[in-house]
Amino acid sequence: MDPSVLTTLKILITGESGVGKSSLLLRFTDDTFDNEQAATIGVDFKVKLINVDGNNVKLAIWDTAGQERFRTLTPSYYRNAQGAILVYDVCSRQSFSRLDAWFDELETYATNTNIVKMLIGNKIDKDRREVSREEGLKFAKKHSMLFIEASAKTKDGVQMAFEELVQKIIQTPGLWEADATSQRGLSLSDKTEAGQSWSCSGYCSMV
Amino acid sequence: MEDVLDESVSEEDLRKFERRYHDSLAQGTVTHVIQFEYAWCLIRSKYPTDVKRGIFLLEDLSKGENESGKRDCIYYLAIGNAKIKEYSKALGYTKVLLQVEPGNRQVQTLKHTIEKRMEREGLKGMAIIGGAALALGSLIGFGVALARK
Repeated sequence: MDPSVLTTLKILITGESGVGKSSLLLRFTDDTFDNEQAATIGVDFKVKLINVDGNNVKLAIWDTAGQERFRTLTPSYYRNAQGAILVYDVCSRQSFSRLDAWFDELETYATNTNIVKMLIGNKIDKDRREVSREEGLKFAKKHSMLFIEASAKTKDGVQMAFEELVQKIIQTPGLWEADATSQRGLSLSDKTEAGQSWSCSGYCSMV
Repeated sequence: MEDVLDESVSEEDLRKFERRYHDSLAQGTVTHVIQFEYAWCLIRSKYPTDVKRGIFLLEDLSKGENESGKRDCIYYLAIGNAKIKEYSKALGYTKVLLQVEPGNRQVQTLKHTIEKRMEREGLKGMAIIGGAALALGSLIGFGVALARK
């Protein structure tokens, strides 16, 4: 383990098949986009190191398949996750209507009660939008989620989404632990400070 | 955890899906889904004997599945074989998948991960021979069928 890494965070991405979960992740980790992105098999995994507010944070990101056949097995991936990203396609009303079911699953299986939740409306580069920004915002507000509209294709909002999510996790007391090897560099007061800076208790709009 | 090969299933999940599989086996109601779910758990087990059993169940499934089902089986066969250090077999499976979907990043990453493991264990070079020798009738048939689409 790199001693300069403050902590490792587990993040999960869920949502209907074809909404662009893997594309968002690929844009974030590799800064690329593939028009022909294949459907994810089971669950994919990527590691990414980012710097948030001067802290190096390692992200272990689980990208789950949206397809029906994997539904019974993916709930176990919520275990110990500190962050969950729920994705819908702003050009697919159906993907938005299914959010309730995805949210229920999140609530049922997440083991961290204060897990940070984020809603991403993807594909804003496309015409024929079927879900307005206000609707997305309303859903996020109702369920105390962070909200952002993004496009994996044009990069819009992607980096910001992950950074905001990590920032909020770091600001949530008790949700994460410093990696054992990095604790030498962290004083107790740092931690307390992080705890006190937790001010946004409900939904936060980001755009 | 650094990559998909490090992942392991929870005891709880393994037991749950195992029970379900055995119950339906006893009642003669095993479906592809039930078998696949149990196999997926076994493949992600820490114990090689479980992984081997998972491979056996997936090999069995891949004969009867439709094309998208085969794709899932082959991917997890690659992971399972890599976990028990059958690297050349594992690479052979990634090759089958990449023949059909050359741009599939999930599979490319898995291939790269397997190659890194081999390198770490001083097995580089063996893959080419082993991978080429892999002859799996049904799977090659799968590649051809999809490529024709």
